[in-house]
Amino acid sequence: MDVKRLVILGALFVLLVILVIVFFIRGGGEKAIQSQVSPPPEMYHPSEKPQEKKKIILFFLSEDDTLLHPEEREIYASPSIVYEAKQVIEELIRGSQNDFLSPLPPQTRLRELYLPENGVAYVDFSKDFQGTHSSGSSAEISTVYSIVNSLTYNFRSIKKVFILVEGGEKETLGGHINLNIAFLPQYSLIAK
Amino acid sequence: MIEVKTRIPLGIQRKSFESRFIESFSWTRRNNSLILTIKANHGNFSYDYFTIGYPPKLIIDLREVQEEQKAVRTIVIDPGHGGLESGAKGKFGTLEKEVTLGISLRLKTVIERNLAYRVVLTRDRDIDKALDDRAALANNNKADLFVSIHANSSYRKNARGSETYFLSLNATDEEARRLAYLENSSAQLEERIEGDNQDEIKMILWDMAQAAYLHQSSRLAELIQSELNVLLRTANRGIKQAPFKVLTGVACPAVLVEVAFISNPVEEKELGTEEFQYKVAEAVYQGIAKFLRRYSQ
Repeated sequence: MDVKRLVILGALFVLLVILVIVFFIRGGGEKAIQSQVSPPPEMYHPSEKPQEKKKIILFFLSEDDTLLHPEEREIYASPSIVYEAKQVIEELIRGSQNDFLSPLPPQTRLRELYLPENGVAYVDFSKDFQGTHSSGSSAEISTVYSIVNSLTYNFRSIKKVFILVEGGEKETLGGHINLNIAFLPQYSLIAK
Repeated sequence: MIEVKTRIPLGIQRKSFESRFIESFSWTRRNNSLILTIKANHGNFSYDYFTIGYPPKLIIDLREVQEEQKAVRTIVIDPGHGGLESGAKGKFGTLEKEVTLGISLRLKTVIERNLAYRVVLTRDRDIDKALDDRAALANNNKADLFVSIHANSSYRKNARGSETYFLSLNATDEEARRLAYLENSSAQLEERIEGDNQDEIKMILWDMAQAAYLHQSSRLAELIQSELNVLLRTANRGIKQAPFKVLTGVACPAVLVEVAFISNPVEEKELGTEEFQYKVAEAVYQGIAKFLRRYSQ
């Protein structure tokens, strides 16, 4: 009797252990699939911990002068430049944590960021980027170069930046600066 | 055809003549007028006419077009924005497109009163005009200068003052070398453009025509900016470079003047006044006049 009971108990215990192991493995698997949604799948390595941080510089406007001012920020480090560059743009939209002015309309959404081999980053914004922009030469210049400088400054492989709206080329933001070209950085606009 | 109004019944006498231009002419009467019809050998001439003495003598000057084209020199003034595209907007509702038109119309008057240039406006009323068409208008009119008038706007509340821009090429070193070559051979560029200009109706636009005129454009920008500084006593924001769409295709010295900040409430109020608009027009005119005295043959 006792032996029989022990065998049954033992079997139940083993089954429980197996169930627990299976549960955890599957749960872990789901987690991995979920976090694969945000970074581009081709660059994601599930074995690495994706939560490592990295310092980057964003460029904002100041009331004091006409220059662009650097502000340090942390983003999630990733082997994917596209993933990191997207975070830079999203932080830029989020605005300054000091008293700097953000030259990007806060309603703007980053739709996509492409980085083909040619060193040109294609940054695609939602229509609010243009629709809610306060048109004017100085405003357009600061918007364009806060984006361009923030990307080229942080990523050596990004040489030029092409700005798209709703997936397409626009002539200008509000009638001034030419958006039909890939912009080189303008480091002369940065405050020393 | 020239219509001559007269109350005196005129007798018509015919004399024989010889001319390179004129094949024949004829007089006909219509009510109180005489209609003079001149038939030319070819279409390439222009004319001027006036009367002298009494009994009045009618003098008609005919000139071949090629000579005429050298004589007529053109400045194109571009009032920024227009129509549905109103540009930047001030806190009190002042629109950039209104200010730019007001200043441009005054500038045209001042230039034509004082200089032997005709002024062509890219728009003379509140209509839409594509940026490419503005550059093409300058090129088709063989403009000697192109001046675009704008009012500025910034995210910075404190932003104030005038700025004069010329085009920045946004070129890599390699591209810049090629464009420098283009600039050195800008005379050749003009020849090439002439050659391509067979079709008169066709709008002409060269993708990066402005590249050949950057040096002159920077000189023009300096001269206009220093006049703005004196006349308006505004903070000197100096001359600047940026990739402005409207300047890209212009095949002559070209600048864009940001007169003042419509986003600054004090300057917005000023921009709306006739006095300020006149002052700006005067300052820009002075800059243009200095440039022409120094650099035009």
